[in-house]
Formats: sequence, C-alpha cells, structure tokens
Amino acid sequence: MKAKATTCAVGTALLGLGLLAGCGGQGAAQSASGNGGSQPQLSLILGTTNNDFYVTMGCGARAEAKAKGAALDVQGPTEFSADLQVPIVNAVTAKHPDAVMIAPTDSQALIPPMRQMKEAGIKTVEVDTKVADDSLAVSQVTSDNVLAGKKAADEINKLTGGHGSVLVVSNTPGISTSDARGQGFMQEIKKYPGLHGLPIQYNNDDATKAAQIITSTLAAHPDLSGVFATAETAAEGVATGLKGADTSGKVSMVGFDAGPTQIQALKAGDVQALVAQEPYREGQAAVDQALKAVSGKPTVKEVRTGLAIVTKDNLATSGSKYVYKSAC
Amino acid sequence: MSHQGDELSAAQNASGEAGQNADHVRSLAHRLRQRVLRANALWILGVLCVLVIGFSVSNPGQFLTVFNIRNIAISAAILLVLSVGQTYVIITGGIDLSVGSVLIFSGVVDAKVMAAFGGLNAGVGAVVLGLLASLGTGLLWGLLNGFLVTKARVPALIVTLGTFGMALGGAQLLTGGVDVRGVPNVLANSIGIGTVLGVPYLVVIAAVVALVGGVVLAVTRFGRHTYAVGSNVEAARRVGIAVDRQLLAVYALVGLLAGLAGFLNLAHFGTTTISGHAEDNLNTIAAVVLGGTSLFGGMGAVIGTVIGVFIPMVLQNGFVIVGIQPFWQTVVVGAVLIAAVYVDQFKRRARP
Repeated sequence: MKAKATTCAVGTALLGLGLLAGCGGQGAAQSASGNGGSQPQLSLILGTTNNDFYVTMGCGARAEAKAKGAALDVQGPTEFSADLQVPIVNAVTAKHPDAVMIAPTDSQALIPPMRQMKEAGIKTVEVDTKVADDSLAVSQVTSDNVLAGKKAADEINKLTGGHGSVLVVSNTPGISTSDARGQGFMQEIKKYPGLHGLPIQYNNDDATKAAQIITSTLAAHPDLSGVFATAETAAEGVATGLKGADTSGKVSMVGFDAGPTQIQALKAGDVQALVAQEPYREGQAAVDQALKAVSGKPTVKEVRTGLAIVTKDNLATSGSKYVYKSAC
Repeated sequence: MSHQGDELSAAQNASGEAGQNADHVRSLAHRLRQRVLRANALWILGVLCVLVIGFSVSNPGQFLTVFNIRNIAISAAILLVLSVGQTYVIITGGIDLSVGSVLIFSGVVDAKVMAAFGGLNAGVGAVVLGLLASLGTGLLWGLLNGFLVTKARVPALIVTLGTFGMALGGAQLLTGGVDVRGVPNVLANSIGIGTVLGVPYLVVIAAVVALVGGVVLAVTRFGRHTYAVGSNVEAARRVGIAVDRQLLAVYALVGLLAGLAGFLNLAHFGTTTISGHAEDNLNTIAAVVLGGTSLFGGMGAVIGTVIGVFIPMVLQNGFVIVGIQPFWQTVVVGAVLIAAVYVDQFKRRARP
C-alpha cells in the first residue's frame, strides 16, 4: 500500500498549499483592516491587474485609503474582459464592503452586476471607464478622454508639419475611454486641412495585430505621416511595425499612457509624444468620493483628472510627475 | 488494460443491442456507481468540499450565502455547458480547442438575427429564431471539425486550433471587431438575469444539459459507442461501430453545445464579448481532466466534469472574498490539476 501513502501525501500537500494561500490572504486582509470594526471597508476592482495604468491607480487608491484610515482590497481580472470581471464583481458584492470603486470593462455587460451591487446597499464609484447607465454610481472619476484625443491630434499636427495621412490604432471598440479618444482625435483632425484622417483600426489588445495594421496601411497609403495609438499594446505594435518597415523618423507617433515601456520607447525615439493621464490621482479621487458616500456626505457626480503631453524634452522637467508606476 | 476489456465488451453489447434492455436497467445503478468511482469524482469532490468548508469558516456570512452561491453557479453555468461537450470529445480520445471561439461566433450570428428582427423590443419569436441560428451555427462548426478529423484525417488538435482562429476571426469580420449589443429585453430579463423559483435560468439550463449529457453518456448506446471509440478504435471498428460517424456526431454535439453557450452568453452579458472567452478551451479541458476523465480517452463521466468546473469558480470567488491576490487562483488550480492527473495515473497502475 505504498501507493496509497503517496496519494495521501499528494492530498496533504495540496491541502497545505490551499491553507498556505488561505493563511497568506487572511494575514493580508487582517493587516489591511488593522484593528478594524468601525473602519470603512473599500474594494477597488481594476479593469485588469497586469497594466501599469491600473497598477498606478491601485497605488493612488492604497495611499489615499491609508491616509484616510480606510481598509482597501484591490482585485481585478488578469485580462481586460467582461466575462472575467463579472464573477469578481459578484464576489465583491458577496463580501459586502461599504463602497466599491470599479473600472468597468464593458459599458453594457457590467450593468446587471453593478445594479445588484447598488441594490445590496454598496456605494459605487466608477473610475476611468464607466457603464451606459449613469444612475448606478454616486461618482464618476475619469480624465477627459475626448480632450485627450484632441490633444493627440494637435500634437500630430505639430510633429508632421500638417501634411499627410494620419491613422488611429485603437484597442477594442466598446471601451468608453478609448472610443472617446478616437472620437476626439477624429474631430480635431478636421481642423487641419493638410491632414487626412484614415478610418480607425482596431488591434484587439494585440501588439502583433497593430504591427500588421501599420505595415498594410503603409502599403496602401505611402503618405502616412502620423499615427495615434490609443492604448499600450497598440503603441508597442505600431512602433514595431514602423521599425520593420524602416520608416521610423518619417512617420510620427503619438502614444497613450506613460508606463515604463512607453517612457522607454519615448527615450529611444520610437514614439515622439505621449498623452499621459493621472491614474494615481484617479485612484485617490475615487477613494475620496467613496469615503464621502459612505459617511453620507455629498459626492461630486463627475470628477475630472488631468492630462499632459509628455515628450523627450519635458520628460526630465514638467512631464516627470506623469510617469506611471509598475509597482507601488 | 482491464478498462479496455470492459469497453470492448460494452462495444460488443452495443452491437447486439436487441433484447438486452432488461439487463441494462438492472445493471444501470451498478454501472453508474462504477463509472463515478472510476472517474475519480469522489476524490475531487473531497477537494471541492474542503474548499467550500474552508471559505465558509474563514468568511462566515459572506461566502455561504444564497446570493454568493447563486453567483458562483451563474459563473459556472456557461463553462459547464461547454465542458459537457468537451467531456464527450476527450472520452473519444480527441480534443476541441475551438469551443470558446465557436461560442463567440454563434453569439454574433444570434445577435445579428435578433437585431434584424426588432432589436431591443423584439418579441419571443425573434429570440427563438436567434436561438435556432446560434444552435445551427455551432452545429455547423462542429460538423466542420468532425469532418476534418474523420474524413481529412487531420489531427483534432490541429483542426480545432485552426477553427479556433477561424471562428474568432470570422466573428470579428462579421462585426468589424465591434461587439454587437441590443439584446432583446425579453431575453435579457428572462434567461439573461432572471430566475425561476429563485434559481437563475442559466443555472437551470446548464444543469439540464449536464444531466442529459451525463445520462446519455452513461446509459445509452451513443454513450457506450463514445467510450468504445476512445478506448480502442480498432476494437470498436471490428465490433461494427461506425467509428467515423460516431466521431462526427461527437464533434457536432460539442459544436451544438457551444452554440447554446453562445446564446446563453449573449443573453447574460447583453453583448457578444468578442474579446472574451479566449481561454475557455483550456478551462474546459482542465475541468474535464480535474473531473477524472482521461486525456487518453475511454474513461470519464460528466459528474466529474461538473465538479471540475466548480473548483476554479469556487477558488476565484473565495479568494476575492478572503482578499487574496487573484493570481493565487491560477497557481492553485494548476497544482490541483497536476495532482488530479497524478492520482488518475496512479489508480490505473494500481488496478489489477
């Protein structure tokens, strides 16, 4: 019965692993809630856990929660996708914190779980993205994404000298923020008669696809002079595509967000400018609004955080505070 | 080797079907019990119980609530429908990597049909048409998989990897990459988020699929042929089972279930979630294997798959409630999966 013993050993080891994870988690939860009880309990549900923008948002929220004496739990799906985020939202509702800050991954699919959350008496603050139903959240913290798109268009005009075709490469349609960026860009580009705006292309969060989009666009429109990439994977792929086609320098690119990868690309000259948001501020502001709602104070329905253009030139000076973090 | 013998005799039984129905019923309970034991379901059920008890003790009043159990069941429902089909394919010794993409593609066709017949305010008729479109589309993808596997003799892994890409790309082509929304309210409020006697429609449907799938596999000729093909193709052929037709039917069944899952997914999320379900194929395979079905074919049961679907769901939900970093879920599920296969292998070796 040696074999039976082995089964037992494997089983025990597994249980051990489960317990280990359980213990670790409880420890963390307890230290977060401190001596708990009267402390407000907050949860932050990110759009995805593996992205500098959301990491920085989490850092801001953690710092603010600590400063205000609230307990904060940060969760999120490993991919930016509604079918992965909804179960997490439901689990958080079951946990029943006092307030939840959430970056919904889809403007439609997240409505029923967020409605349940509201019906359970949990105050909800939307951060960065939002759902199509404005009645669910007590506050919406976001940067002005239409304005961000406009700023990108202005920068493209400056970089290209106002000539040639320009292209927007966006992540996936249906995300409120990147849709607004593309929309702002296309509006603003009409102001510049020398620039010809091509239809928006989508790379579905896939850098390889963005590279393919660029090479095929270059084949069809040799006068391509500027590209606006509305999200990180798009920017990475566009840079690779431009390098592969050996046109770097001839085509200017404006990227979005200022994570470590994008800053590196900026320094290397793959990207000429970045439109940076303030995810750290978004996290802080979301916690502030959530705490106001919990204590029954009036909340601000719409909180706008800042935007800035970061270039190689201002990186060391005014742009430095806009650089995102990859860890707190 | 003994299970192969069993299946061979099962195959022989199957070929001389007539007049043995009474025998069937008598040995039914016995055979079911044997399959469950053989399928490792008890061991994995123990793991599930430990998890449920662990989370209930650590977070009383939060984990074990009607609200939470209901939501875990909803999260598991769509994956369960896919996993029932995957169980059949894996029992034949095959694999289907295309399920998640076929789900998306069918959902897109479904959404387009319902939009064409009235959109948000469409009636029950449009919903039924949408359902039929979704099932039909899934069935066609399944038949394509089955045809390529049996007639073109391309390995299932490659065929379904190919259709995985084709169905996803096709869905993106049909929609221009833009999720189709505007699911009729009558559908969203009933099957999507509604309940019947307190149980969500989604859960009822998934339970019926699992029950029917499990019974068909365990007691019908179709089920026995499925085992026989996976256990020993040559033997199955010699006793007169139409192996190719059986495989074609099994792949078609998976496609049909993926089509149903696409309909349910659309009803539940209210959008076609084109960027989602990318890992459904691996998740269903993990669930099936966790449930004790052998990747080498010939062994397994749907009941094990049901438990296998719930383990990752309970872990994820429990970890969020406890406040553990979400990454732990992937680590623990991976470890449980390896352990499950280890125990499975060891049991086979131990069998006289």
